[in-house]
Amino acid sequence: MNDAVIRIDNLHKSFGSLEVLKGVDLDVARGEVVVILGPSGSGKSTLLRCVNMLEKPTGGNIWFEDTLITDPKTDINKVRERVGMVFQSFNLFPHLSAKRNIMLAQRKVLKRSKSEAERIALEQLDKVGLGDRADYMPAQLSGGQQQRVAIARALAMDPHVMLFDEATSALDPELVRGVLDVMRSLAQGGMTMIVVTHEMGFARDVADRVIFMDGGIIVEQGSPQEVFDNPKHERTKDFLGHIS
Amino acid sequence: MLRKNGTAQPQGTDGYASRGSIASTARYILRNTLAAVAVLSFLVYFVSLPQAPALTVERTTAKSNESSGNNIIGGQPTRITWEAKVGNNEKVASVTLRFPAGSTIAQGANVKATVLDDMTRIETEQNPVLTGDYATIEFPKPVPSGLLLRIEVYNVALPSATGDYFIDASYVDSEGMRTDLLGAIPIKVIGITATESVISWLDQQEWVQNWNSVLFLRIFFNPQLIVAAIPGLFFGWLRSLGLVLVGFPLAIPIGLGISFLRMARGKGGAILRFISSIYVNVVRGTPLFLQMYIAFFGLPFLGINVDSYLLGILVLAMNSSAYLAEIFRAGIQSIHKGQFEASSSLGMNAIQTMFFVIIPQTVRRVIPTATSEFILLYKDTSLLAAVGVMEQMMFAKSMVANTGNMTPYIVAACYYLVVTLPLTKIIAVFEKKLAAAEGLTTAPEGKQKKKRASSLAKEDLSTGDCHE
Repeated sequence: MNDAVIRIDNLHKSFGSLEVLKGVDLDVARGEVVVILGPSGSGKSTLLRCVNMLEKPTGGNIWFEDTLITDPKTDINKVRERVGMVFQSFNLFPHLSAKRNIMLAQRKVLKRSKSEAERIALEQLDKVGLGDRADYMPAQLSGGQQQRVAIARALAMDPHVMLFDEATSALDPELVRGVLDVMRSLAQGGMTMIVVTHEMGFARDVADRVIFMDGGIIVEQGSPQEVFDNPKHERTKDFLGHIS
Repeated sequence: MLRKNGTAQPQGTDGYASRGSIASTARYILRNTLAAVAVLSFLVYFVSLPQAPALTVERTTAKSNESSGNNIIGGQPTRITWEAKVGNNEKVASVTLRFPAGSTIAQGANVKATVLDDMTRIETEQNPVLTGDYATIEFPKPVPSGLLLRIEVYNVALPSATGDYFIDASYVDSEGMRTDLLGAIPIKVIGITATESVISWLDQQEWVQNWNSVLFLRIFFNPQLIVAAIPGLFFGWLRSLGLVLVGFPLAIPIGLGISFLRMARGKGGAILRFISSIYVNVVRGTPLFLQMYIAFFGLPFLGINVDSYLLGILVLAMNSSAYLAEIFRAGIQSIHKGQFEASSSLGMNAIQTMFFVIIPQTVRRVIPTATSEFILLYKDTSLLAAVGVMEQMMFAKSMVANTGNMTPYIVAACYYLVVTLPLTKIIAVFEKKLAAAEGLTTAPEGKQKKKRASSLAKEDLSTGDCHE
C-alpha cells in the first residue's frame, strides 16, 4: 500500500483507565473517501483526532505519507498543515471576520503574503457559496454558514487529507444540506477524506468505503453496498437498524 | 551678607544718606589722633563687620496669604515683618517703614515693635502711626545699640501686581540725625490669582456667610475651601494618576507572565506552577498596606534606597500583577478548547495560537475585570500617603491640617470620582458589547439579522446552535 496517504497500525488510546481504542488498523488511499460509522463512545472521533494528534495515542503507529507522526521527534505542526480538520462545533475564531479566519493560518503558518492569502480566502469562500459573506463576523453567520467557512479555512491550507468530525451534527436539518453539498463536491474533486458522520445518505452516496466501529475496534468495513445492504456483523445490523 | 547690604545701600545710592555717614565719619576722625585713627580704622574694619556702626536691616518678610499655596498675594492683607539691629554707639528714637506705592491697609491694620536682647524681650514704650503709605514708631526712650528691633505690620496689603517689592526705611537716632535705608531684601509678590479673587468674592457674599453659619456645611462643604482645594489638590491628583498610569501598565506584562506560569504544563510545569501560585496567593492574601510597609521600611534596612515615588509604583505593580494574573488565567481558560484545537489543526504553534487566537479573545473578555482592577489600584494609591509618597491623599491631608476643615477631603473624593465614575460606565458599555459579540444577546444588526429573524427564527429557538 505505497499509495496510502494515512496508515494506522494497531492504534491504542486510553483516557486514564478507560481504553477507547483497542487496536485499530486502517489504511486510507489517496483520493479515497472513508466514512466511519458507529454508536456514541465507539471511539470513532478519537480515532479521527489521533490522525492529526489532537489526541496522543497510547500505543501503535500512524504514518502520514512518509512521516511517522507518532514519533515524538516529528514536528507535528508540519503534518497538521497538510491535514485539514472540520469540527462539530465549527471553532471559527470569533474575533475575526470570515475572510480573516481563513487568512490567519495561511499567513502565519504558510507565510503567504497578505494579498495572496486574501485572494485564496475569497476563492475558497466562493467555493463554499459564501463569497458575499467575507466580512461577516462568525456571530453574524448561521451555523451552516459558519461550518462552510470552517471548511474553506481548512481547504485554504491546501491539505492532502480532510478530516470531518461530525461536521453536521450540530446543525438543524435544513442547514445540513449546504454543508453536505460542499463535502460531496470536495469528494468528487478527488480529496482524500475521513468522515465521521451520522448521515447515512451521505455515506451511501459519497463513501468509497464505510467503516463500522464499536467498542474501540473496527467491527466491519467495506463498500457502502456491502455494509448497508449486507452487514455481516450482528452489531452492525443492530446499529443500522436503529438508525434507519 | 544681609548686614552688609543694609549698610552699604544708604551710602551708595542715596545722596542724603551718604552725606550723613560721611559727616559722622569726619567727626569721628577729628576727635581722635591720627595714630588712633589708623589703629581704630584697622580694628573697625575687622571688628565692625559683624556689628556695623549703623542700623542694620536683617529681615524683611511677608506672611503667605494664599489659601491653596505658600505665595504672598498682592492686594490681600498680609503681615510684614521687618527686623534690624541697632548699630554701635547709636540709639534709635524712631523708625519709619515706607510701603511700596500701591500698598493699602485693611481693616484691623496695626503696627507694633518688639525689642529683643538676644532672645529676651525688652518692654519698650512706643507710639505707632500707620497709614497706607508708611508706618512710624517713635520710641520716647530711644532703643540702645546692640538690640534687635522687630516691627510687625498687620493687615497691610502689598500692591496687587506681580513683582519683587522692597520696604524702604528711615530712622532717627537719639541725636536727631535721620538716616535713610533703601530696602534691599525683596518680598516676592504674585498678582492676585483667579482662585484668590473668587475666594475673596465669596468671603463677601451673604449667602456664603449664611451657608458657613451651619456647622456641618462649614466643616465639610466650605465654599471658599472648595475653591481653594480644586487647584490646591490638582497636582496631588496628577501624582496619584501618575502612580497608577505607570504602575498598572507595568503590572500587565508581569501578570500575563505569571498567568502563563500558573498554566505551565510538562515536567518543569509543576515547579513553575508552584512558585507562581505562592506569589499569587501571598500577594493576594496579604494587605497591600502591609506590603507597602515591608517595601518602604524593609528595603532601607538592606541598604537599598529607592526613590519613594518609584518604589510606590513598583509596590502597586507587584500587587496588581498578582490580581491580573488570576484575571488573565481565568480569561484564557474561559476560551473554548475548540479554539486551541482549531488553531492546532491549522498547523499553528503554541505561541502563534496564544498571540493571534487566544489573547485577542481574552483581551475582550478581561477588559471589564481588568478595568475594575485598575479602579481598585487607583484608589489604593491613597495608601501610599502612609509611607510618605506625595499623592492626592497627602495633599488633602496637609491642606486639612492647615485649614482645620474637612472640605479638602471632600474635594479629594471628587477628584477620585472624576476618574472612577467614567471608568465604571465604560465597564458597563464593554460588558454589553462583549455579550453582543459573543452572541449572548440578540444577533448584531445588519441584513443577516433580519434574514435570521425571519427564516431562521425557528432554528435559533429550537437549538441555539452556531454560537461558540
